[in-house]
Amino acid sequence: MVGIMNPVSREKLESLSSSVKFAIDLGSKLELCRQLKHDLLEEDAADLSEFLPRIFDLYSDPSGPVRKFATEIIGEIGVKHLEFVPEIAPFLITVLEDATPAVARQSIACSIDLFRHTLEQIAIRGLYSSELDSDLESSWSWMLKLKEKIYSIAFQPGSGGIRLVALKFVEAVILLYTPNPNGSLEPPPNEGTSIEFNITWLRGGHPLLNVGDLSIEASQRLVLLLDQLRFPTVKSLTTSVIVVIINSLSAIAKKRPAYYGRILPVLLSLDPPSFVIKGVHVYGAHHALKNALLSCLKCTHPSAAPWRERILGALKEMKAGGLADLALNQVHKINGSVEEEKDDSLLIKEEKPLTKAYDAAGSNVGRKRSGTEGSSDLAEKDEVSGKRVKATPSVSEESTKELNRNITVSQGDISSTQSSTRKVDVDTGPVQQLVGMFGALVAQGEKAVGSLGILISNISADLLAEVVMANMCNLPPTHPHTDTDDELLEDMCIVGSDTQAKYPPSFLADVISLSSTFPPIASMLNSQQSVPNKIVKTEGEEEVDVVADPNSALAYAGMAHEDENALLATDLPVSSNIVLPGMKIDPPTPSDIHDTGNLESGIPGLDSSFRNDGLSDTQAASSLVSTDIEDASQEQATSFGGKSPLHVRPSISIDRSEELSPKAAVTDSSSMVSSTATSVVSSCPFVLPKMSAPVVNLSEDQKDDVQKLAFVRIVEAYKQIAVAGGSQVRSSLLAYLGVELPSELELQKVLREHILSDYINHEGHELTLRVLYRLFGKAEDESDFLSCTTAASAYETFLLAVAETLRDSFPPSDKSLSKLLGEAPRLPKSVLNLLGCLCSPGISEKAEESQSGDRVTQGLSTVWSLILLRPPIRDVCLKIALQSAVHHLEEVRMKAIRLVANKLYPLQSIAQQIEEFAREMLLSVVNVDATERTGAEGLISESHKDSDLEKSSNEHQSMSSISKDISADVHQSETSHSGSSPSVPEAQRCMSLYFALCTKKHSLFGQIFIIYGSASKEVKQAIHRHIPILVRTMGLSSDLLEIISDPPSGSENLLMQVLQTLTEGTVPSAELIFTIKKLFDSKLKDVEILVPVLPFLPGDEVLLLFPHLVNLPLDKFQAVLTRLLQGSAHSGPVLTPAEVLIAIHGIVPERDGIPLKKVTDACNACFEQRHIFTQQVLAKVLNQLVERIPLPLLFMRTVLQAIGAFPALVEFIMEILSRLVSKQIWQNPKLWVGFLKCALLTKPQSFSVLLQLPPPQLENALNRTAALKAPLVAHASQQNIRNSLPRSMLAVLGLAPDTQSSSQAQTSQAHTGDTSNSEKDAAVTEKSKESSSAI
Amino acid sequence: MKFRYAMVCSSNQNRSMEAHSLLKKQGFDVSSYGTGAHVKLPGPSLREPNVYEFGTPYKHMFDDLRRKDPELYKRNGILPMLKRNLSVKLAPQRWQDNAADGCFDIVFTFEEKVFDMVLEDLHNRDQVLLKSVLVINLEVKDNHEEAAIGARIALDLCEQIEAVESWEDSIDDIMVSFENKHRRKLLYSISFY
Repeated sequence: MVGIMNPVSREKLESLSSSVKFAIDLGSKLELCRQLKHDLLEEDAADLSEFLPRIFDLYSDPSGPVRKFATEIIGEIGVKHLEFVPEIAPFLITVLEDATPAVARQSIACSIDLFRHTLEQIAIRGLYSSELDSDLESSWSWMLKLKEKIYSIAFQPGSGGIRLVALKFVEAVILLYTPNPNGSLEPPPNEGTSIEFNITWLRGGHPLLNVGDLSIEASQRLVLLLDQLRFPTVKSLTTSVIVVIINSLSAIAKKRPAYYGRILPVLLSLDPPSFVIKGVHVYGAHHALKNALLSCLKCTHPSAAPWRERILGALKEMKAGGLADLALNQVHKINGSVEEEKDDSLLIKEEKPLTKAYDAAGSNVGRKRSGTEGSSDLAEKDEVSGKRVKATPSVSEESTKELNRNITVSQGDISSTQSSTRKVDVDTGPVQQLVGMFGALVAQGEKAVGSLGILISNISADLLAEVVMANMCNLPPTHPHTDTDDELLEDMCIVGSDTQAKYPPSFLADVISLSSTFPPIASMLNSQQSVPNKIVKTEGEEEVDVVADPNSALAYAGMAHEDENALLATDLPVSSNIVLPGMKIDPPTPSDIHDTGNLESGIPGLDSSFRNDGLSDTQAASSLVSTDIEDASQEQATSFGGKSPLHVRPSISIDRSEELSPKAAVTDSSSMVSSTATSVVSSCPFVLPKMSAPVVNLSEDQKDDVQKLAFVRIVEAYKQIAVAGGSQVRSSLLAYLGVELPSELELQKVLREHILSDYINHEGHELTLRVLYRLFGKAEDESDFLSCTTAASAYETFLLAVAETLRDSFPPSDKSLSKLLGEAPRLPKSVLNLLGCLCSPGISEKAEESQSGDRVTQGLSTVWSLILLRPPIRDVCLKIALQSAVHHLEEVRMKAIRLVANKLYPLQSIAQQIEEFAREMLLSVVNVDATERTGAEGLISESHKDSDLEKSSNEHQSMSSISKDISADVHQSETSHSGSSPSVPEAQRCMSLYFALCTKKHSLFGQIFIIYGSASKEVKQAIHRHIPILVRTMGLSSDLLEIISDPPSGSENLLMQVLQTLTEGTVPSAELIFTIKKLFDSKLKDVEILVPVLPFLPGDEVLLLFPHLVNLPLDKFQAVLTRLLQGSAHSGPVLTPAEVLIAIHGIVPERDGIPLKKVTDACNACFEQRHIFTQQVLAKVLNQLVERIPLPLLFMRTVLQAIGAFPALVEFIMEILSRLVSKQIWQNPKLWVGFLKCALLTKPQSFSVLLQLPPPQLENALNRTAALKAPLVAHASQQNIRNSLPRSMLAVLGLAPDTQSSSQAQTSQAHTGDTSNSEKDAAVTEKSKESSSAI
Repeated sequence: MKFRYAMVCSSNQNRSMEAHSLLKKQGFDVSSYGTGAHVKLPGPSLREPNVYEFGTPYKHMFDDLRRKDPELYKRNGILPMLKRNLSVKLAPQRWQDNAADGCFDIVFTFEEKVFDMVLEDLHNRDQVLLKSVLVINLEVKDNHEEAAIGARIALDLCEQIEAVESWEDSIDDIMVSFENKHRRKLLYSISFY
């Protein structure tokens, strides 16, 4: 054993420990430590003794985790080799002071282990020898030092987190030092077997340890612990310390019941309100205390018993209220399970605000079945005991049963029954208080009639329904047993369960009379106010138990506290009132229900004969009936004596005010009775023969069937009521039944069918809402996943089914759907989808397209009202509307756009979102251009992401994701069917909304200018289609002016269209004209933009612009021409035709930088419009032009054209020509050519003009235009002319000898160069003229 | 990450798994458990829940429910939830049977009932290690939406706890600041392994 350390392992350990020391990062250090620990624990003690210092050395490491680990290793070595304790204990003491709390805590954790082992070792060694070796003694003394040190930490204020562990250490030591009553009393026969150490092993005469001393120390420490919780020390503690101390104390109390009596007073006196620890977190400590008390309560040790009452009292006080009281009573007799019940009832009280009352009461339904079973157990019990029904114990039994059942399920953990027991307790909420209140009022008799009326009118229908339902619980399900063998007489009156609620006064009357007859009943009625069904039992041999239906059985659990029941049972053995809400059912049903109750003895067979009668009567009455209880009770009275069958008379309806009157109290049977407006009460007396009743057990399915049948009957009955004008209360009650009965799904279907079969007449809306609210309440209120999700799912199914039916069966103009969606408590996604499909047909099914327009309108107006009414889902609804606004069908789109732009956009809160969406759509059209194909896939995946997001954030989603979402969808569809840039309709689809918004907010219009430049041809086309309408709608606003004043480049065409539209048919404002002019002057030099306003400019300005205008493309110039000449309606033509022509001629190509061709084209354009540029106009023009100096370049051309156009102008032209001669036209070679041409054209009229030329020019002319010569000569040869000609002239003409011919020839030659040029020009002119005239 | 976390609800399906999933994504050392007797999932009606044993793989439940009524279980969010769960771990685990999983430093519960059960279970174990464990109850309603919110809040709290050197010293401050920030009432207790 004492071997030499294996050198390999030694080396290994050494290297390990040194590498731990020198390892750089924390992770590897810890890993090495782990290895080291593993190896070390394998080693022998002797080897370790050498190595221990090296491990102590590790503790000097700067990093906390390593030190902690080192401590842990040392601790474990110590536990394994107790001989090292004298070395290790001092080490642990030093570690206690470590600056890192985790290390110090580790030290304590090691210490307790070490302490326990040392103690155990010493104790056991001492058993067998009277002396212990010195090592052990020194170990023990060290351990005691260590212990003292830790004690000091535990009780020293303010030592922080380490204190928690130290306190736990104290607890552990106390437990070690005190005998464990449940532990083994003898030490294990041989060492090493692991039995928990028990101090009782120690016997007297132990060398070191004395049981008495140890327990004295333990109790001293306990006192210290307790002192911590005493005032005022407790004030200075942190919550965590208090929690730990409370937990420790409760653990000690539980494990060492001997201390129970010392610990509990402290715990009990721990006053919750004093838990103001630094003003915070009272709750944690509070809860810990509560749990501690509860766990103490569980203690079964005899010493705990006296404290139970006080603990219960304290618990009650902690949570206060009537609930605790009930729970207390209930649980009082159930040992062991008391705590949980208590706890729960308290919790409920705490969590449930009064307003949730009805939900709370509603939740008990979940327990129906077990309630039923429980009550049957109870019934059995009672049979056995032969006693009368006593409520209090019965509930205890029942809950015990329940608890037991659950215990087996959950490993004996009683607390798992909490949820179920909770439900039982819930009954005692406000509803129950109301029930009590009703009862109290009723008990007061006549004088309370008024107050009762006020009470009823003041509570809501829903609450009243709650009360009615809750009250059913208060009816004893079993009939008290009679002691004598008597005939059984049963009188069954079938009453609609709501009648009492609706007409309580009658009930009141009944009650009053009842109480006068049988005083004990009055007290009973304190808690039982609806007494529709009476069973009178007289001296029957048989004991008949009647359980009406699951509800009343269920009620059982809740009525525990009704002492009155007991009273009733004792004093009035023969009467029992049972509510049968489901009694309007098929004949067999009642018996079935009886059987479900699991009765000892039922009423077999009798149902078919007797009840058939009764029920057929009921059916004949065809309505809900109520019973005159007064009457019945009288009969009851008689039945006691005479055993005669009871008769209940049909009641007559009385209106409410009558009922409220004190008269109702009079014991006149006819006036006492009430029912629904048209109902006739029927009742049937039965005399029940003696018979024995076998018990028929129904399967769950059968029970369901029965229940369903019952409900169907009720629903059918409601149809009758509806005809007579139903009431709010009724629908509340019906909804309640439909939702709360166990087979809720089936019933909801029945209910739904009922609602939908005649939505309007059955008050479908109200009823639906009531059902929805009830389901919603369940979904919201239930804390457990199961019921929560189920209710939510049922809610959704119900709402969706109703909504779908409303959509499909009502005309689009009907508002029911909108109203329903507006008022339903919550709109699940599927319903919103439905709405979405309505607004955007074709999204899902093609089939729906047929319904088209009106449906869309219906959907949209619903969406609108939802947006207005339901801010939380505004975004989702808006999304629907927006989706519809980019719908591919124009009809749909336009409707949606009208809604969005006209109704929604003006709403401040959502305007921004709408705008963003519209902009995004607008941009998508342009961007798809650029990024199409490549971007498409990314967008699709993005849309998926969005839909995920949408899920998580549910209704509250940001608008940006909405718009992305939709636009992504749009992209998808685009890419799927177009592939490249969007078509014109597609572009329109995306842009329409934006345009519509522009009309509302003109500044948005700017965006269109921005995108215009980069848009595709199709998009531009789409834009141009929109513009006229858009701009006309917008009119000229300052925003628009601003946009116009600075259009982005590329948008000129758009600007043009806008300007055109703006000026069409109206006079543009001065600002507009000013803006345009400014724009032309500064930025945009294109004269085109001025064109639309030209008619409105002053003439002189136009004339200044004329060169620019001429420079326009011909077609545009023509348009300009028209505008100018037509002018505006108000101001008349800007320019006269003459002015136009003159202006054209005023253009000098070189100077103005305009090609001559443009100018000639302009001229031609004018000449084409002969009806405007008439003969007179031309004459006028020419007349003016000829006076110009210099002559306009195109003058002769125009003259020629004028002749071509109007031959009648020849005379006038001649005059012009002669004036040209006088102006020495030949000086200008170009014009000279034209002149000659003209002369040639106008011969012979032109001869006289030619002859006016000076001879040299004439000669030149004749040389150039040879064709003139002969006719001219001929002309000149005429005697009268010839005579008038000078000689020189004649010489030129060859009519006289020429002396100067040579010189003339020279002159003419000098001219030749020029003229050949101008000849060409003239030819060109000629040609163009021809071509233009050809047009 | 210094601490080991456990997320506990009743069925180890919704709240605890939501938090487990989230914390796992954030790199925490986290496990999750349920304290109930069985794993119960909603069925077609309240009376017909789908009941499984702890340890039944989520995948199995997923397939089972998808076979039964895909529409219903998709709509009520059960299928998506199971799908999420099966990506986190194999099967629901029961808290009371987790002794083999070692010590946790921080245990989150999402319902007071569960909180009490965890504490009681811890108290019933042999507390020999003297290793403290912080049990925090954050009340979260058991539906999908609230679970998601609850998980985020739990994460926030975990991050704050991670940020301090030892929670034993600063837990009260953390709780106070947390309660002020989230306006949620917390309940905590300290137990020992």
